[in-house]
Amino acid sequence: MTVLLWILGILAVPTLIAVLWLGGVFVKEFFAQMSGAADGEDGAGGAEAAEQLGLLPAERQSTKSAGPLPTGWEAALDAVRGRGDGGGDWKTAAELLRGIGRDWERRSLAAYLLAEIAAEDDGWLLAWEADGPHGPDDPDAALVRARSTVILAWKIRGGKLASDTTGEQFAGFHRLLQRSREEIARAAALNPDDPTPYVTEIWTALGLGYPHSEMDKLWSELTARDPHHYEAHFSALQYWCKKWRGSEQLATEFAERAAAAAPLGSLLTAFPLIAHFEHDESDDSAADRTPEMIARVNAGLADAAAADPTHPRLPELRHLLAYYLALQDRDEAAIEQFRLVDGYVDALPWRYHGSGMTARYCRIRNLSAQAVTSAATSATAEQESAGAGTGAN
Amino acid sequence: MGSTLRALRALVLLAGFYLLGVLLLAVLAGADYLLFAHTPAAVATKLAVVSVLLAVPLVRGLLMLRTPKGEEPSGLPVTEADEPELWRTVRELADQVGTRAPSRIVLMGDANAAVSEDARLLGLFPGPRRLYLGVPLMQGLTEAQLRAVLAHELGHYAGSDTRLAALTLRGRTQLLRTIRNFEERAGSTEARERTRQERKNAKAEAKGKETREVDTGHAGVTYRAMARIYTAYAKLYLRATLADSRRQEYAADASAARIAGRDATASALREIPVLEGAFGFYVRCYATLGTDARLLPPPGEVFGGFGRILSARQLELAGLRSELPTEPTSPYDSHPPIADRVRRIELLPADGRADEAHGAAIALLADEERAYAALEDAVLTDEVRQFRRTDDWQDLLDGAMAANLAALNTPLHRALALYTKAGPTLPALLTLIDDGQLWQLARRLPLSDEAVAAKGRAFREFVRPTLHNSLHSMVMAEFSARSRMRWEFSWEQSAKARLLPAPGGTPDDDSASELDASIGAAVDRALSDHPDTAPLRALLPPAPRSPRETDAPR
Repeated sequence: MTVLLWILGILAVPTLIAVLWLGGVFVKEFFAQMSGAADGEDGAGGAEAAEQLGLLPAERQSTKSAGPLPTGWEAALDAVRGRGDGGGDWKTAAELLRGIGRDWERRSLAAYLLAEIAAEDDGWLLAWEADGPHGPDDPDAALVRARSTVILAWKIRGGKLASDTTGEQFAGFHRLLQRSREEIARAAALNPDDPTPYVTEIWTALGLGYPHSEMDKLWSELTARDPHHYEAHFSALQYWCKKWRGSEQLATEFAERAAAAAPLGSLLTAFPLIAHFEHDESDDSAADRTPEMIARVNAGLADAAAADPTHPRLPELRHLLAYYLALQDRDEAAIEQFRLVDGYVDALPWRYHGSGMTARYCRIRNLSAQAVTSAATSATAEQESAGAGTGAN
Repeated sequence: MGSTLRALRALVLLAGFYLLGVLLLAVLAGADYLLFAHTPAAVATKLAVVSVLLAVPLVRGLLMLRTPKGEEPSGLPVTEADEPELWRTVRELADQVGTRAPSRIVLMGDANAAVSEDARLLGLFPGPRRLYLGVPLMQGLTEAQLRAVLAHELGHYAGSDTRLAALTLRGRTQLLRTIRNFEERAGSTEARERTRQERKNAKAEAKGKETREVDTGHAGVTYRAMARIYTAYAKLYLRATLADSRRQEYAADASAARIAGRDATASALREIPVLEGAFGFYVRCYATLGTDARLLPPPGEVFGGFGRILSARQLELAGLRSELPTEPTSPYDSHPPIADRVRRIELLPADGRADEAHGAAIALLADEERAYAALEDAVLTDEVRQFRRTDDWQDLLDGAMAANLAALNTPLHRALALYTKAGPTLPALLTLIDDGQLWQLARRLPLSDEAVAAKGRAFREFVRPTLHNSLHSMVMAEFSARSRMRWEFSWEQSAKARLLPAPGGTPDDDSASELDASIGAAVDRALSDHPDTAPLRALLPPAPRSPRETDAPR
């Protein structure tokens, strides 16, 4: 009997040590969590600083766009959306696109926003195709139709990795993308000058995996119509990224070439930044502070300053600039960019965080705000002490 | 290794199994003894109960002495009077191999050949021998190839392989049975534990408490540990005996090549996997076509048809023959990989016997047709033999397809029945689509999580493939029910449905394929975002006069 007790006693010692150690770890972790919640990185300190600088709190950030839409667009889109019963007003949509005319940047953005609505419910679009003045041959309706099919295809695929996407999703994705090719060709034939159908086709190319030769052909059709189109470059860069059909080298070369060839103010300086962002797998910000990256950000700043202030894609560049300025500890300049886009967060680099994009945006922004305000207080404090010194003398 | 030595090893391995059982029992008993000597009685009793539970399957494994009687495969035994030519060939080959000819030849209904021997006294004395010969094999091989197969099988007799087979087999079965015994117990213990925990969870839930994950991790673990010991022994056993059976195969191949010729042996080995595949396909797609409709091909055709498909699809088969099966074989397979066996034979020097006996092997039978019919009676079950015999293959195809279409039960049928609580019919479905209820109905289809989460157009795209396939089949069924469809039977390719444009019209290629295409388009229209059934209704065959028949209750 005693033998057994001895054995049990000996066995109990290591168990007791393990339990004590585990308990210690738990207690330590618990206190770390508590103190972290009290003054964490995105805690009250940063938010306060941001508020001091006149920046909006997280709950007032819109996740619908990268910046304010051109005047009148919100109302027009609401009218087209209707009450969600497909009974939206197609005439407003037709009017919107007709008013934009040959401003391809705006046309591609407006067509995208309309197509996004049509991908939910296309009752109004069907009505447009049936009752419009040009009937089914309306180039604007054809464009929205093609874009909506591509958007619907991507919606069915979902935003997950290929391994987490079901066969059913892929089947629907491919079926719709195949259908979109015909619709894109129709839209292009109805408005031969318009680059937008080709911009749309890049997303079909991405999904169906067009060979590089096909993509190059598509690209030359596109640049013949508009050599420095922002959305075209954005879409093509995605194609050339490693995660889709290209590689880091192909993407970087494409972006650098586009940025170098574009005139100042065309915003194409955003793409070397995006190429870097898409292929950056490092955990710290060392790779974002290289002289090369600082030069890219400087080029972007000059580009943004020279751009038409109403360019619909300008906020997208500013979001990127703000992000990299913050990572490069150029907080004053970062806050300047944040200020210009504050209130809208649907842009790279935040967008990839999905529903967490506002949190991500606010975290980086607040860090910069905190740095700026604390620098300002220490500066005033220094001045004050300097003033006191002179007063005493 | 001589056959005596091999017999000895088989015996030792089998004895090892019993030894293992006795040893484990001794360990359990010893543990119990120590428990009672050194621990309080309550604890000891508890643990002793566990050990007794563990001992039960052990003892059962030891006591199950009789090897389960292998079920006699059903076949058609043929006497020398029935098939003199076949018997003469077998005897002649047995002579050349230098062994006793089998005392029975049984014709079988699969693409295989095998020999057996009812050895007596653990394989120490030879017993009556049987040769099992698959008729489909005879249909596909040339006479020379069949001689090679027979020589190979008879070679097993000569090497006394068949005599020891019983002994080796007994060890194998015994081991597997004991392992299964343990695993079954572990499984039922786990199941019990699961229900216990689930009941507990349900109770906790009822009281508004958090439930725990059901975890059956350690239940049945003792049984599993025992099973693992036996599995390890089984692995040793199988590896030891399988090396032998593989060597036996190579030896039998070598003797076949010597007797039947190198080329015939190699090509027979290439041919057998092809024939197995082809026969499986034939059974699936032709012979059992009418099973659901309780129809059988004409007498003798269940096997006779295989010969027809072999000659009709020669080109396809030639392609398959040139490539050897490459799938990796399990280390426990008693046969070496076929590719390996073929390579070994083809390495032998040429013997100039490539042109021997090119005729079909089936000609060895006195009367093929009679043999096919007799074989059907021997291998088909009583129930299947009650099926109606059709006049010909075309008749079988028509009957089977009409029955299949009449009994059509697609996901859409089930959704419709669920939604309307009425018999799912095409007119009812079309009316429902016209009433704008298609997408509510679609919610009743079996849906993936993604489809359930999707809304609007995305949801419609998710369900559209199922809807299209189901509705298309319903339309086809309608055509079939109105006798507006004809099936084309072919040995070369799969059966094609041909729609008849108008009642009594003759089918011609263009109008039929046109009709097919326009049905596809009309189905698409009926399932579009804003469905329109008019084009489909226009294509459907007119309903019979009686209005009652189509007026489905709504």
